[in-house]
Amino acid sequence: MLAAAIVMTDHEDPKTFFSRGIEENMDALYGTALRLARSGADAEDLVAEAVSRAWSAIETLQDRQRFRPWLFRILHNCFISNYRREVVRPTEEALGADEDEELAALLNEQPDEFLVWWANPEREFFNDMLGSAITAAIDDLPDAFRATIVLVNVEGLTYDEAAEALGVPSGTIRSRMKRGRTLLQKALWRQARDAGITARTDTQRQ
Amino acid sequence: MNSDKKSHGKDDIGCLGAIEAFYAYLDGELSEPQAIEDFEHHMSHCRSCFSRAEVERLLNRRMRETGTAKAPDELKDRVRRLLDEF
Repeated sequence: MLAAAIVMTDHEDPKTFFSRGIEENMDALYGTALRLARSGADAEDLVAEAVSRAWSAIETLQDRQRFRPWLFRILHNCFISNYRREVVRPTEEALGADEDEELAALLNEQPDEFLVWWANPEREFFNDMLGSAITAAIDDLPDAFRATIVLVNVEGLTYDEAAEALGVPSGTIRSRMKRGRTLLQKALWRQARDAGITARTDTQRQ
Repeated sequence: MNSDKKSHGKDDIGCLGAIEAFYAYLDGELSEPQAIEDFEHHMSHCRSCFSRAEVERLLNRRMRETGTAKAPDELKDRVRRLLDEF
Protein backbone atom coordinates (compact mmCIF):
# COMPACT_ATOMS: atom_id res chain seq x y z
CA MET A 1 0.00 0.00 0.00
CA LEU A 2 0.95 3.63 -0.07
CA ALA A 3 2.51 3.69 3.40
CA ALA A 4 4.85 0.86 2.44
CA ALA A 5 5.75 2.57 -0.82
CA ILE A 6 6.63 5.76 1.04
CA VAL A 7 8.98 3.91 3.37
CA MET A 8 10.87 2.75 0.31
CA THR A 9 11.15 6.26 -1.09
CA ASP A 10 12.06 8.37 1.91
CA HIS A 11 14.81 10.06 -0.05
CA GLU A 12 12.58 11.06 -2.92
CA ASP A 13 12.60 14.81 -3.53
CA PRO A 14 9.52 16.58 -2.10
CA LYS A 15 7.96 17.48 -5.44
CA THR A 16 8.20 13.92 -6.83
CA PHE A 17 6.99 12.46 -3.54
CA PHE A 18 4.08 14.89 -3.37
CA SER A 19 3.00 14.39 -6.99
CA ARG A 20 3.06 10.63 -6.63
CA GLY A 21 1.12 10.79 -3.36
CA ILE A 22 -1.54 12.97 -4.94
CA GLU A 23 -1.84 10.70 -7.96
CA GLU A 24 -2.15 7.57 -5.83
CA ASN A 25 -4.84 9.19 -3.67
CA MET A 26 -6.73 10.99 -6.42
CA ASP A 27 -9.76 8.68 -6.49
CA ALA A 28 -9.96 8.58 -2.68
CA LEU A 29 -9.68 12.37 -2.49
CA TYR A 30 -12.39 12.84 -5.06
CA GLY A 31 -14.63 10.16 -3.53
CA THR A 32 -14.34 11.73 -0.10
CA ALA A 33 -14.86 15.24 -1.45
CA LEU A 34 -17.92 14.04 -3.35
CA ARG A 35 -19.52 12.61 -0.22
CA LEU A 36 -18.62 15.72 1.79
CA ALA A 37 -19.72 18.34 -0.73
CA ARG A 38 -22.45 16.18 -2.33
CA SER A 39 -21.84 17.77 -5.73
CA GLY A 40 -19.41 16.75 -8.44
CA ALA A 41 -18.44 20.30 -9.37
CA ASP A 42 -17.90 21.31 -5.74
CA ALA A 43 -15.93 18.12 -5.13
CA GLU A 44 -13.56 18.92 -8.00
CA ASP A 45 -13.01 22.45 -6.67
CA LEU A 46 -12.44 21.04 -3.20
CA VAL A 47 -9.80 18.58 -4.41
CA ALA A 48 -8.01 21.23 -6.48
CA GLU A 49 -7.93 23.62 -3.53
CA ALA A 50 -6.76 20.89 -1.16
CA VAL A 51 -3.90 19.96 -3.50
CA SER A 52 -2.80 23.60 -3.70
CA ARG A 53 -3.01 24.10 0.04
CA ALA A 54 -1.24 20.82 0.70
CA TRP A 55 1.71 21.76 -1.49
CA SER A 56 1.93 25.16 0.23
CA ALA A 57 2.02 23.37 3.57
CA ILE A 58 4.31 20.49 2.57
CA GLU A 59 6.86 21.48 5.22
CA THR A 60 4.25 20.70 7.92
CA LEU A 61 4.34 17.02 6.89
CA GLN A 62 6.86 15.69 9.37
CA ASP A 63 6.41 11.98 8.71
CA ARG A 64 5.95 10.83 5.13
CA GLN A 65 4.22 7.68 6.32
CA ARG A 66 1.43 9.96 7.58
CA PHE A 67 0.90 11.54 4.18
CA ARG A 68 -2.58 10.14 3.72
CA PRO A 69 -4.19 11.37 6.99
CA TRP A 70 -2.30 14.67 6.58
CA LEU A 71 -3.73 15.10 3.08
CA PHE A 72 -7.28 14.20 4.15
CA ARG A 73 -7.03 16.66 7.01
CA ILE A 74 -6.28 19.44 4.56
CA LEU A 75 -9.16 18.33 2.35
CA HIS A 76 -11.50 18.31 5.35
CA ASN A 77 -10.30 21.74 6.47
CA CYS A 78 -11.00 23.09 2.98
CA PHE A 79 -14.48 21.65 3.18
CA ILE A 80 -15.15 23.22 6.58
CA SER A 81 -13.83 26.63 5.62
CA ASN A 82 -15.52 26.78 2.22
CA TYR A 83 -18.76 24.90 2.41
CA ARG A 84 -20.04 23.87 5.79
CA ARG A 85 -18.58 26.18 8.40
CA GLU A 86 -21.95 27.13 9.83
CA VAL A 87 -23.15 23.56 10.17
CA VAL A 88 -20.09 21.74 11.47
CA ARG A 89 -19.66 23.78 14.63
CA PRO A 90 -23.10 23.11 16.16
CA THR A 91 -22.70 19.41 15.34
CA GLU A 92 -19.41 19.29 17.22
CA GLU A 93 -21.02 20.91 20.22
CA ALA A 94 -23.82 18.37 20.17
CA LEU A 95 -21.21 15.62 20.39
CA GLY A 96 -20.40 16.78 23.90
CA ALA A 97 -23.64 15.32 25.25
CA ASP A 98 -23.71 11.95 26.97
CA GLU A 99 -23.33 9.79 23.91
CA ASP A 100 -24.11 6.42 25.46
CA GLU A 101 -27.41 7.70 26.80
CA GLU A 102 -28.20 9.18 23.43
CA LEU A 103 -27.34 5.95 21.68
CA ALA A 104 -29.46 3.89 24.05
CA ALA A 105 -32.32 6.34 23.51
CA LEU A 106 -31.84 6.06 19.76
CA LEU A 107 -32.09 2.28 19.93
CA ASN A 108 -35.15 2.48 22.14
CA GLU A 109 -36.79 4.77 19.61
CA GLN A 110 -36.54 2.10 16.94
CA PRO A 111 -39.89 0.44 16.35
CA ASP A 112 -40.42 -3.17 17.41
CA GLU A 113 -40.61 -4.36 13.83
CA PHE A 114 -37.14 -2.91 13.28
CA LEU A 115 -35.76 -5.03 16.12
CA VAL A 116 -37.55 -8.08 14.77
CA TRP A 117 -36.04 -7.36 11.41
CA TRP A 118 -32.57 -7.08 12.91
CA ALA A 119 -33.04 -10.41 14.62
CA ASN A 120 -34.06 -12.00 11.32
CA PRO A 121 -32.03 -10.13 8.76
CA GLU A 122 -33.19 -10.27 5.20
CA ARG A 123 -29.73 -10.84 3.82
CA GLU A 124 -30.69 -10.13 0.28
CA PHE A 125 -31.72 -6.66 1.33
CA PHE A 126 -28.30 -5.04 1.20
CA ASN A 127 -27.31 -7.00 -1.86
CA ASP A 128 -30.42 -5.80 -3.63
CA MET A 129 -30.24 -2.28 -2.33
CA LEU A 130 -29.05 0.05 -5.05
CA GLY A 131 -25.73 1.75 -4.55
CA SER A 132 -27.46 5.06 -5.01
CA ALA A 133 -29.71 4.29 -2.03
CA ILE A 134 -26.71 3.64 0.20
CA THR A 135 -24.87 6.76 -0.93
CA ALA A 136 -28.09 8.79 -0.48
CA ALA A 137 -28.34 7.51 3.10
CA ILE A 138 -24.68 8.45 3.72
CA ASP A 139 -25.25 11.88 2.17
CA ASP A 140 -28.12 12.54 4.59
CA LEU A 141 -25.90 12.08 7.66
CA PRO A 142 -24.79 15.18 9.59
CA ASP A 143 -21.34 16.40 8.49
CA ALA A 144 -19.27 15.04 11.37
CA PHE A 145 -20.70 11.51 11.07
CA ARG A 146 -20.63 11.54 7.28
CA ALA A 147 -16.95 12.52 7.18
CA THR A 148 -16.03 9.85 9.72
CA ILE A 149 -17.95 7.05 8.02
CA VAL A 150 -16.64 7.93 4.57
CA LEU A 151 -13.02 7.99 5.73
CA VAL A 152 -13.27 4.74 7.72
CA ASN A 153 -15.83 2.62 5.89
CA VAL A 154 -15.42 3.81 2.32
CA GLU A 155 -11.78 4.92 2.09
CA GLY A 156 -10.45 2.43 4.64
CA LEU A 157 -8.56 4.76 7.00
CA THR A 158 -7.82 3.42 10.48
CA TYR A 159 -9.44 5.18 13.46
CA ASP A 160 -6.10 6.84 14.24
CA GLU A 161 -5.72 8.07 10.68
CA ALA A 162 -9.33 9.32 10.61
CA ALA A 163 -8.75 11.08 13.95
CA GLU A 164 -5.69 12.78 12.49
CA ALA A 165 -7.55 13.67 9.31
CA LEU A 166 -10.48 15.20 11.19
CA GLY A 167 -8.43 16.78 13.97
CA VAL A 168 -10.21 14.96 16.81
CA PRO A 169 -9.17 12.34 19.41
CA SER A 170 -9.48 8.64 18.49
CA GLY A 171 -12.22 8.24 21.10
CA THR A 172 -14.33 10.71 19.17
CA ILE A 173 -14.00 8.57 16.05
CA ARG A 174 -15.29 5.58 18.03
CA SER A 175 -18.24 7.59 19.30
CA ARG A 176 -19.02 8.94 15.87
CA MET A 177 -18.91 5.47 14.36
CA LYS A 178 -21.48 4.25 16.88
CA ARG A 179 -23.86 7.12 16.43
CA GLY A 180 -23.27 7.62 12.74
CA ARG A 181 -23.79 3.96 11.90
CA THR A 182 -26.93 3.84 14.04
CA LEU A 183 -28.30 6.85 12.17
CA LEU A 184 -27.37 5.16 8.90
CA GLN A 185 -29.22 2.00 9.91
CA LYS A 186 -32.31 4.02 10.72
CA ALA A 187 -32.16 5.75 7.33
CA LEU A 188 -31.75 2.42 5.52
CA TRP A 189 -34.55 0.94 7.56
CA ARG A 190 -36.87 3.75 6.51
CA GLN A 191 -35.91 3.19 2.87
CA ALA A 192 -36.58 -0.53 3.24
CA ARG A 193 -39.92 0.13 4.86
CA ASP A 194 -40.92 2.73 2.27
CA ALA A 195 -39.92 0.35 -0.52
CA GLY A 196 -42.05 -2.37 1.07
CA ILE A 197 -39.03 -4.67 1.54
CA THR A 198 -39.51 -5.28 5.24
CA ALA A 199 -43.28 -5.61 4.87
CA ARG A 200 -42.66 -8.34 2.31
CA THR A 201 -40.28 -10.04 4.73
CA ASP A 202 -42.94 -9.98 7.45
CA THR A 203 -45.45 -11.56 5.12
CA GLN A 204 -43.04 -14.33 4.15
CA ARG A 205 -42.36 -15.04 7.78
CA GLN A 206 -46.02 -15.64 8.65
CA MET B 1 -29.59 -6.04 19.53
CA ASN B 2 -32.42 -5.25 21.81
CA SER B 3 -33.62 -2.36 23.87
CA ASP B 4 -34.13 -4.47 26.98
CA LYS B 5 -30.37 -4.70 27.61
CA LYS B 6 -30.25 -8.49 27.42
CA SER B 7 -27.47 -10.23 29.30
CA HIS B 8 -26.43 -13.87 28.99
CA GLY B 9 -24.93 -14.89 32.33
CA LYS B 10 -23.32 -12.81 35.05
CA ASP B 11 -20.11 -12.19 33.10
CA ASP B 12 -21.86 -11.21 29.91
CA ILE B 13 -21.43 -7.59 28.84
CA GLY B 14 -25.05 -7.39 27.60
CA CYS B 15 -26.33 -5.79 24.42
CA LEU B 16 -25.45 -2.26 25.48
CA GLY B 17 -21.94 -3.39 26.37
CA ALA B 18 -21.73 -5.00 22.97
CA ILE B 19 -22.85 -1.78 21.28
CA GLU B 20 -19.95 -0.05 23.00
CA ALA B 21 -17.46 -2.31 21.22
CA PHE B 22 -19.48 -3.13 18.14
CA TYR B 23 -17.95 -1.00 15.40
CA ALA B 24 -14.46 -1.01 16.87
CA TYR B 25 -14.59 -4.82 16.69
CA LEU B 26 -15.99 -4.94 13.16
CA ASP B 27 -13.48 -2.33 11.98
CA GLY B 28 -10.58 -4.27 13.49
CA GLU B 29 -9.94 -1.50 16.01
CA LEU B 30 -10.60 -3.41 19.23
CA SER B 31 -7.16 -4.29 20.57
CA GLU B 32 -7.60 -5.24 24.25
CA PRO B 33 -7.72 -9.08 24.45
CA GLN B 34 -10.25 -9.01 27.32
CA ALA B 35 -12.54 -6.65 25.41
CA ILE B 36 -12.38 -8.91 22.35
CA GLU B 37 -13.10 -11.98 24.47
CA ASP B 38 -16.04 -10.28 26.20
CA PHE B 39 -17.48 -9.14 22.90
CA GLU B 40 -17.12 -12.54 21.23
CA HIS B 41 -18.65 -14.23 24.27
CA HIS B 42 -21.73 -12.04 23.97
CA MET B 43 -21.92 -12.65 20.22
CA SER B 44 -21.86 -16.41 20.76
CA HIS B 45 -24.90 -16.17 23.04
CA CYS B 46 -26.98 -13.32 21.63
CA ARG B 47 -28.71 -14.10 18.37
CA SER B 48 -29.92 -10.56 17.72
CA CYS B 49 -26.45 -9.00 18.19
CA PHE B 50 -24.91 -11.74 16.05
CA SER B 51 -27.48 -11.07 13.34
CA ARG B 52 -26.86 -7.38 13.52
CA ALA B 53 -23.13 -7.98 13.13
CA GLU B 54 -23.81 -9.98 9.98
CA VAL B 55 -25.90 -7.17 8.56
CA GLU B 56 -23.23 -4.63 9.47
CA ARG B 57 -20.57 -6.68 7.69
CA LEU B 58 -22.70 -6.75 4.57
CA LEU B 59 -23.31 -3.03 4.85
CA ASN B 60 -19.56 -2.41 5.25
CA ARG B 61 -18.90 -4.36 2.08
CA ARG B 62 -21.61 -2.56 0.13
CA MET B 63 -20.43 0.84 1.33
CA ARG B 64 -16.91 0.05 0.19
CA GLU B 65 -18.19 -1.13 -3.19
CA THR B 66 -20.61 1.69 -3.88
CA GLY B 67 -19.10 4.62 -2.00
CA THR B 68 -15.84 4.79 -3.87
CA ALA B 69 -15.67 7.05 -6.89
CA LYS B 70 -13.32 7.52 -9.81
CA ALA B 71 -11.86 10.98 -10.23
CA PRO B 72 -13.05 12.45 -13.55
CA ASP B 73 -10.40 12.91 -16.26
CA GLU B 74 -11.01 16.67 -16.21
CA LEU B 75 -10.05 16.78 -12.55
CA LYS B 76 -6.95 14.68 -13.13
CA ASP B 77 -5.87 17.08 -15.91
CA ARG B 78 -6.60 20.08 -13.70
CA VAL B 79 -4.53 18.67 -10.84
CA ARG B 80 -1.69 17.73 -13.21
CA ARG B 81 -1.59 21.32 -14.44
CA LEU B 82 -1.48 22.50 -10.83
CA LEU B 83 1.38 20.15 -10.02
CA ASP B 84 3.29 21.38 -13.05
CA GLU B 85 3.02 24.93 -11.72
CA PHE B 86 4.46 24.06 -8.31
